[in-house]
Amino acid sequence: MEKGRSVHPDCINASNPYHECVEYCFQRIAESNSRAEEDETNDSSKEPEERIVHPDCINASNPYHECSDHCFKRIADLKAQIERNESDKQTVVSVEEERANQVEQNDDNVDSESGQPHLTEKQKKLFELRLKMNEARKANQMAMVAEKKKMEAPTETRGISKQKWLDERKKKIGKLLDSNGLDMSKAYMLDTQEKAEAKYKKWEKDPAPHGWDVFNQKTLYNAHKKRTQNIQCDMEAYNKAKEEDPEFYREASSLQYGKMTKTPEENIDRMVKELQDRDAKRKSFSRRRKFHEEKDIDSINDRNEHFNKKIERAFGKYTLEIKNNLERGTALPD
Amino acid sequence: MSPASHPLLTLGLLTRRDTEVKLPRSTRVKNKTAAPIQITAEQILREARQRQENHRPPKQKITDSDELADYRLRKRKEFEDVIRRARRNTGTWVKYASWEESQGDLARARSIWERLLDVDYRNPTLWLKYAEMEMRHRFINHARNVWDRAVALLPRVDQLWYKYIHMVEILGDVAAARQIFERWMDWKPDTQGWLSYIKFELRYDEVDRARAIYERLVVCHPRPSYFIKYAKFEAKRREIARARAVYERAIDLNLSEDDVEAEQLFVAFAGFEMWCKETERARCIYRYALDHVPKGRAKDLYHEYDAFEKQYGDTAAMEDAIIVRKRKLKSDDDEEEEEQVRRKPLNYDSLLEAAYIWKKQKLAADI
Repeated sequence: MEKGRSVHPDCINASNPYHECVEYCFQRIAESNSRAEEDETNDSSKEPEERIVHPDCINASNPYHECSDHCFKRIADLKAQIERNESDKQTVVSVEEERANQVEQNDDNVDSESGQPHLTEKQKKLFELRLKMNEARKANQMAMVAEKKKMEAPTETRGISKQKWLDERKKKIGKLLDSNGLDMSKAYMLDTQEKAEAKYKKWEKDPAPHGWDVFNQKTLYNAHKKRTQNIQCDMEAYNKAKEEDPEFYREASSLQYGKMTKTPEENIDRMVKELQDRDAKRKSFSRRRKFHEEKDIDSINDRNEHFNKKIERAFGKYTLEIKNNLERGTALPD
Repeated sequence: MSPASHPLLTLGLLTRRDTEVKLPRSTRVKNKTAAPIQITAEQILREARQRQENHRPPKQKITDSDELADYRLRKRKEFEDVIRRARRNTGTWVKYASWEESQGDLARARSIWERLLDVDYRNPTLWLKYAEMEMRHRFINHARNVWDRAVALLPRVDQLWYKYIHMVEILGDVAAARQIFERWMDWKPDTQGWLSYIKFELRYDEVDRARAIYERLVVCHPRPSYFIKYAKFEAKRREIARARAVYERAIDLNLSEDDVEAEQLFVAFAGFEMWCKETERARCIYRYALDHVPKGRAKDLYHEYDAFEKQYGDTAAMEDAIIVRKRKLKSDDDEEEEEQVRRKPLNYDSLLEAAYIWKKQKLAADI
């Protein structure tokens, strides 16, 4: 039964299993499409105040929603219902009930009146009061958010430290996971397929060489490739030389080898400049590390400090426990 | 002296000192409680570092040439002392040479480099630094000489060749660069050398020469992956016939079954045929490959074949491919058993299992 129904995927009632699209639906879809196009040409992230939104609309909290005829009709119906229920002293109609009622009503009353609300004096006042309440609520929320931001540490403008960035990411992921009811260990579940594929690709890559292996054959070749990419090929000079030189395509044993050729000054300049560029690049190969003043001093000297750094690199993880025991004064019985 | 202990002032009366109870030193009471102000080792170290004085001689500004000469003499003496003490320590030599270079005395710097190369000519970094020094000071022919010697003494160090050729090329002398490349290729280097030569030729749009070099490469290193590279080069230039010829040559290599690259070759060849929209040829290649490549190494091949049939084949061919794969994979297990038995004839368990399998096969065949 469900498969056979004629439902336009863009219809707002598409999620309703019993809804079947009719002319009115298609009209509405066309309208909303044209409005969406309009919105794309305008600034799509409008200010909340500039939107045409009825505060009673159930989609009012959606920042991108704009009330249309359908919304007004729905609100009018809801108001009528509220008035009916006022006599019964029903104060709050839950949103889900409203929604369910509205959806049913939509199916029945699709062809009814135009849908603009007919407001009496009292209803007008109610409407205005409600508007004010909503605005107040929104202003409160924004003020709350701003205060929270002020209370927390401001985001660093110059180079967010990696630690902080990682912490922030962890928090965000944690929140998302909690909302889905997952554990931190299942953090990978949040990845989209593209992200997952990128991760797999990373794993497949060979690990970069480090230590004594940094200048192996492959890396030297790659460095050479990079360097030669930047050579400007002077094709005119090349063709000219081709015409002039009878032995342009030389064999290895050609006697032209030791001959002195006159190289123009600018080529030499080019070479020297390239060397200087390489030198500058080489300097950036290793960076100066930050000096932590608060760290304990365990050296008497600069040389001693350097030595301690190297020793720490090599043996740090093995002597950690011993060091902690010494600091504490006693060893733990583990 | 205090008035209490002065002999004259006390008039012989007993002083405090006389009346004190003099216990022997070892029994004097020692206060063993912790001192009120403690100090940590770390604090001691910190203070030590703070109070450290800089043991450097005061900085002197050199005002005239005599002082400069003095300074240079002193420094040279220092350096020479150090290198006399540790001849093999290239670091100190290099520092000395760089210092001379910074003083602008290239002749002396050259002599230091030469002396160093006397000590150890096998270190390619020394050659690199020496040549770079010459290049930096625009002595092209000196640099050429240095490179030439380096490359003659250490022909298997690729980096020296790379940098030599790079220098010559950047100076604009392409013909000379070509000659050096030829000289290098005479040593039949690793593929990276060949590939850099090909790239060099392609930079100047010399496609024929590049092709010739590819030919030499596949003669020198007849591995499927280099054939594939050659064929891809031809394919990129839309030379379909040539590319096909290359692939066929590759297949004629008669690779041993254990070769890892055989599968890649077939996959690449079939991929090329698909790119040329020749599905029949591709199918033939896949079938041939599946027959010839041992099952253990043909995972990619099956994968590609399946994908190919899904794309181009009709359902019958597709099912055929899947059946072929399944059968091969099933018999894969059986084959494994046989292999195990072959390897270890005394492995009774696998022997028995192989026997069961044989029996099953025989029964199936009979039915």
